Amino acid sequence: MRTETRRAIPNPLAAVVLVAFAVFFVLPVVWLVLAATKTDDQLVRDSPLSFGSWDALRANWDALTGYQSGAILLWLRNSAVYSFVALAITLCVAVPAGYALAVTEFRGRRTLLIATLVVMLMPNATLVVPLFLEINAVHLIGSMWSVILPYAFYPFGVYLAYIYFGAALPRELLDAAKLDGCSEFAAFRHIGLPLAAPVVALVGFFSFVANWTNYFLPYVLLPSSDQVPVQVGLGTLLDNVPQFNPTAGALAVQRPEVALATLVAIVPVLLVFLFSQRFLVAGLLAGATKD
Amino acid sequence: MTTVAPRQRRSRAAPAFVAGYVILLVAFGVVPTVYAIYFAFTDSGGAFAGLGNFADAAADFRFLPAIGHVALYLVCWLAGLVVFVVGLALLLHRLQVRGAGRTLRFLYYLPGALAGAASVMVWLFVLDPAVSPVGFLLRALGYQTFGQVIAPGNLPVLFAAIAFWTGAGGWIVVMYGALNTISPEVLEAARIDGAGAWQTARRIQIPLLRKWIVYMVILAFAGGTQLFVEPQLLSQASVGVAGRDYSPNQLSYDFAFQNDNVNTAAAISVELLVVGLVVAAVFVVRSGFFDAD
Amino acid sequence: MIRSNLVARRRRTATLLAVAALTLAATACGAATSSGGDTKGRFTQAPQSDGPLTVWVDSTRLAAAQLYQKQNPTVKMDIVSYDGDANGSNYLQTKVSLFNRTGNGWPDVVFSSQNNEATWAVTAKFAAPLNKGLVPQSLLDGWAPNANQPCTVDGTVYCLRNDLSQTVLWYNAALMTQWGYQVPSTWEEYEALGKKVATEHPGYLVGAAGDTFTPEIYLWASKCGANHITGPKAVTVNATSPACTRMAALLDSLIAAKSMSTSSVFSSDFDKNEADKILMMPGPSWYGGSLFQGTFKTPKGQIAVAPMPHWADDKNPSVGNVGGGTWLLSAHSAHLKAATAFLTWVTTSDDYQGKVAVGYPAYAAAAKTWLAAQAASGYYANDITAPLQAAAGQVWPDWGYGQFSQEAIWAATVTPGLTAGKTIVSMLPAWQKAISDYARSDGYQVTQ
Repeated sequence: MRTETRRAIPNPLAAVVLVAFAVFFVLPVVWLVLAATKTDDQLVRDSPLSFGSWDALRANWDALTGYQSGAILLWLRNSAVYSFVALAITLCVAVPAGYALAVTEFRGRRTLLIATLVVMLMPNATLVVPLFLEINAVHLIGSMWSVILPYAFYPFGVYLAYIYFGAALPRELLDAAKLDGCSEFAAFRHIGLPLAAPVVALVGFFSFVANWTNYFLPYVLLPSSDQVPVQVGLGTLLDNVPQFNPTAGALAVQRPEVALATLVAIVPVLLVFLFSQRFLVAGLLAGATKD
Repeated sequence: MTTVAPRQRRSRAAPAFVAGYVILLVAFGVVPTVYAIYFAFTDSGGAFAGLGNFADAAADFRFLPAIGHVALYLVCWLAGLVVFVVGLALLLHRLQVRGAGRTLRFLYYLPGALAGAASVMVWLFVLDPAVSPVGFLLRALGYQTFGQVIAPGNLPVLFAAIAFWTGAGGWIVVMYGALNTISPEVLEAARIDGAGAWQTARRIQIPLLRKWIVYMVILAFAGGTQLFVEPQLLSQASVGVAGRDYSPNQLSYDFAFQNDNVNTAAAISVELLVVGLVVAAVFVVRSGFFDAD
Repeated sequence: MIRSNLVARRRRTATLLAVAALTLAATACGAATSSGGDTKGRFTQAPQSDGPLTVWVDSTRLAAAQLYQKQNPTVKMDIVSYDGDANGSNYLQTKVSLFNRTGNGWPDVVFSSQNNEATWAVTAKFAAPLNKGLVPQSLLDGWAPNANQPCTVDGTVYCLRNDLSQTVLWYNAALMTQWGYQVPSTWEEYEALGKKVATEHPGYLVGAAGDTFTPEIYLWASKCGANHITGPKAVTVNATSPACTRMAALLDSLIAAKSMSTSSVFSSDFDKNEADKILMMPGPSWYGGSLFQGTFKTPKGQIAVAPMPHWADDKNPSVGNVGGGTWLLSAHSAHLKAATAFLTWVTTSDDYQGKVAVGYPAYAAAAKTWLAAQAASGYYANDITAPLQAAAGQVWPDWGYGQFSQEAIWAATVTPGLTAGKTIVSMLPAWQKAISDYARSDGYQVTQ
């Protein structure tokens, strides 16, 4: 078990700061949750932090699922497919790459680190045109791989793994493994991977969120409205709210429906967060020192 | 922990470890970036244009104001991010109430799940004194209407607050995870030596977080110079009153997709890339970021 | 001045080069070639084939495409819903420029909620000329006067107008009668009544000037020459002429009297505090259904329509226009016959435009059916037919549609000043400069 090093008495000032920030982060989200239980009229007239009614919530849900006969479910399914497939690829390539960059020396290591940093710092707006041309050249336009493959490239995750392995992997262990005659693959499997749980959780989580919330790439690349993920769908909904687009007319979407759609869209992200957080908390070195 | 182990000899297996990543890096990172750089130095016919595109961008009437906006924004954003993220992560890490740390991290992260279109509505309402959950606060500051809240002078602070709201939680989680990699024995030893919370943070925890902080600053700086999402959000929420053409990155986007001028757009992107790289290089060199210690 | 002209010239050259390059690219890819023709308005048809007709519509127009599919089950259709370029998303332009690079992927027929698509779709060689053999002139003559002007470049029609958004004077008939007011017919009477209301019934409104389309309601109707598109890449901007300043001064005086709101009619603030205090509201034809009936939920039998006021000394009354979408046909279409049939149906048929469409149909015959349906709904306090029909023919033609967005420019330049308490008159020079700057950066030759 981890030694308890923390003081027993919480500092009141620290508590105030922590709670104040919690309010800052959470209050708008609370508002959004309540917004989904109101009618558009209540949204404007009632107290901002009041609960509307279950009936209104149900009506909003019906209106939302009725939009283009259940388009929201299709969007969610698309998002899930793109995000999870890309996530799987990301983990398979980013974790070993980060490990190798952190604990081994090889020709091109520094070039790889620099190239990764450079492409990470490149603004995205201009990368879309080259990406489109590239994907068209290999005839992937219209295929789900046109978004999954660019998603799977996640340099941020490689850096996370690189810094993590660099900081958290006890060098003595690796050296001992080497002396025991372990191959590098065996060392990765028996020492690297068991210790990798936190960083897999971290990379997996951030990659999933990045994929799930990506708007611009699918917006530009996907040719059919049946293929769009939920973020692009939310954009479409928003463009049908009369307050944002007066020409929307009779089939207009009301703002509480957008609020509800937003909540539905963020639930998977929050679930993945809660799931991956379990691997982040407990003493990361406990396992290592026991081995 | 800090002792540098002898670095491994050249690894033969390493290429196998990085192969998959290298393929993706080349296909979706290097090639598009090189393509964009090629665009920046050619005209729309593909002929070499020297610095013509850069001159075109600089001559645009929106270019200089955009640079000024971003400089102001960067000050608010970087200072806020580094101080609050490191501070909150340290405070959370010291929190001994069971479950509270986990709950707070979750709450801090919550807005990170809201992206793009999802948060347009949130900000439209939160910043409108007539319907805001913090309307009393806005009115106390002397703002009666949405238009007054989004006055040009307030924008850098607003954008920094929006960016912090969505982005800080993720970094707090990263920093918290990093703090967990510091061995409890080290902290215990510091405590026995009589170091208080502040001393421990300053002399042990923050130095050990160095790489993480450097990584965050590099990305936050580049992200800050590439400011795009926040002004775009507010622009959509205010139907164009605030935030249109605010940043160079927005200008680049306008060139690419409004004027079908990919070349000038690419020139602006290359400029932003260079700025980001220079800052990154300074931090990387001074912190030994690339050393496989 | 000289320097910016040089830049503008270089931009134009760059645009020309871009066009040339795109043409080259398209030919090189062996795709549907539109051989950068020598004669305007003609284009080489792509080899025709039988595949499905690809139609892009926004959510509102989805109903139209679906209705057509239902009525014509034999036509193979691939209906794609997109954002309709709402709020200047430039989605269509972005995608077309990408398709032009790759040489394939163009949709056959597209709806856009913007009126200015012809400004780029023609140079990008995407929009097919319609009055050169595809759509008969006799049919085109059925549109309201000048309705297809935003679609016309050098006499060639490149798109068809979906709906008109001519401005009229909306008012609360019940209140007008109760307070014994006359509906003003001139701007002078309008201003006088606005001041009277301010003293007799403080809080009540005779209009709103806080929207991005404020200049299109008031300044356009006043014949202010701030946006006179004189050629495909030429614009005359004069925002400080008497036609502009007298309308701006009218707005300023009513804003000072507090009977003219400076909030957007779509803001929560307006909805909450001012929506039930509207006596009069100059605005486009869609205010009736979309704003009063939809957003404000004003009860039946209160809202009425009168002609837009005009200046007493102006013998030719004119009105403005706020929006209205367009339909484009792709020059690359491999199904021109089917595409033209759909285009004709969707813009002119009573089944859609007359009975289903939300906006005032730009095609005059359909507009009659549409007006009859509106009258039959019994929502309005008077007969809205005559004022709307008259206004449809009075849209002042010297305010055009450039590639730059007038609404975005007004929003960014004038609205913040208005919020900070500046007068519109004092901001007209800044507005003129902003329009000129944006026009130049889009490659326009600007005359002031």
